[in-house]
Parts: sequence; C-alpha cells; structure tokens
Amino acid sequence: MAVTVRIPTPLRKLTNDQAEVTVDGANIESIIEDLEANYAGIKERICDEAGNIRRFVNIYLNDEDIRFLDGKITAVNDGDEVSIIPAIAGGASVCQVI
Amino acid sequence: MLELHRDITIQIYAHAMEEFPNECCGVILTDGVQEFVRCCTNVQNERHAEDPETYPRDARTAYLMDPNDLIRIHREVDTEGKQIKAFYHSHPNEDAYFSEKDKTDATEPWGIPNYPDTTYIVISLYDGQINEARAYSWNDTTEDFVEVPIESAG
Repeated sequence: MAVTVRIPTPLRKLTNDQAEVTVDGANIESIIEDLEANYAGIKERICDEAGNIRRFVNIYLNDEDIRFLDGKITAVNDGDEVSIIPAIAGGASVCQVI
Repeated sequence: MLELHRDITIQIYAHAMEEFPNECCGVILTDGVQEFVRCCTNVQNERHAEDPETYPRDARTAYLMDPNDLIRIHREVDTEGKQIKAFYHSHPNEDAYFSEKDKTDATEPWGIPNYPDTTYIVISLYDGQINEARAYSWNDTTEDFVEVPIESAG
C-alpha cells in the first residue's frame, strides 16, 4: 500500500527537507520500516529501543490517533495519509526555586 | 517581541481562569490579517489516571495537549493557509516562568525545538485570578528559550 507520510519539521533533515514522502507498507509498523529503508535514522527518532512509538510522538492515520486504533499494527490502505506530530506538553515547576 | 491583541488576551485569560486550578493549553493561529484562539483540551489527568508511573503529574502542574486537537490544528494550518503564532498554557498558583519541564517538553523527543519559530505564552494565575503572562521563544545563538516581551495591541 502506498501512503503519504507527513514529516514534522525537526525530522525533515532526514528526508531531504521533504514535508511529505510516499512509502509502502501494510500497517504503521511496516510503514516505519519502509521509512527507515529510505531515510536512515528516522526509525530511532520515532521508536524507542524496545521498538515502541516514543511517548512524545503522535502518529495519525488520516485524522485518527493510532493509539485509539490498533497502535503500530493499525492497517493502512492505498492513498491513506499518515502524520507524525510531536506532542505539545509542559508544566509548572513542582518545586519552584527560581 | 510578541504582539498580542486585546481580544486574544481576553480569550486566553478566560480559558486559563475556566480551567483553574488545572493548567489550560491552546494555540493562537494567524492568517496574516486575523488571529484566532483555539482552546485545546489538557488530557494530563486522563493520562495520569491511566499510567501514573509514566505521567506522575496531574493537570494541576502539567499539560498535554489532546492529540485530537493537535491534528485538527495542523489540518487548519494546512488547508486554510494559517500559521501557528503561539502556544499558550497556564501555571495555576505559580509565576509565568518557562519551567525546565516546559523547555524539555518543547524539545522532546529529539532534543531540538519542535516549533523553533513559534512563541510559547505562559499565563500565571493565583487563586483563580490572572497575575500576568510572559512569552518565550527559541534562540538559535544561545540554544535555549529566552523571554520575549509581550506588546499589547488593539
């Protein structure tokens, strides 16, 4: 299945500054493998050492967060769009000293 | 310098007060002419309840923008030619500093700023009332977030 993957700005140096790339795969896991085959180094940015998607990385199939689908084994179809978007988070200092 | 229109300031302050004593979060978008506030859901309490080990804080001292809000904002940016002008969040019963957690989370998980051209606004409240807001953005030279002055407009 050929899908379009939207690449976040901090990872575009790995994709020759391309904001969108087309890769093949049957599910998110194989999409990540094909991304790695084409753009070496990208898998370790997306997944941790255990192969799980990093906590601060959101992956969407079309507009759905894959956490609420089948995670890494979420199946994809031809023409689908996968988006990789880093989480937005933060918070106060628990013990503020400044 | 970050120029903030009065009606935008009113909207983000109202959001911060509404969410007190929890942190609020959201985005200010611009189309070059007009600006738009997109209030987002802070899902920190849900994540904390599901997995307190990974998410030791609750929403009183942390925020995690709902991933569903985030994709909607990116769609709006892509399809309507808007830009993200600023992210905002609140610090209930704390000052408007940019905390270590604010800094590290803005550069997670790759150690470089996810939105180097975007400003982060922090709203301080005490007892549910607005104290002040301050703004921070990434500085390439110092490779750190630095405060940028907020100028009120309109």
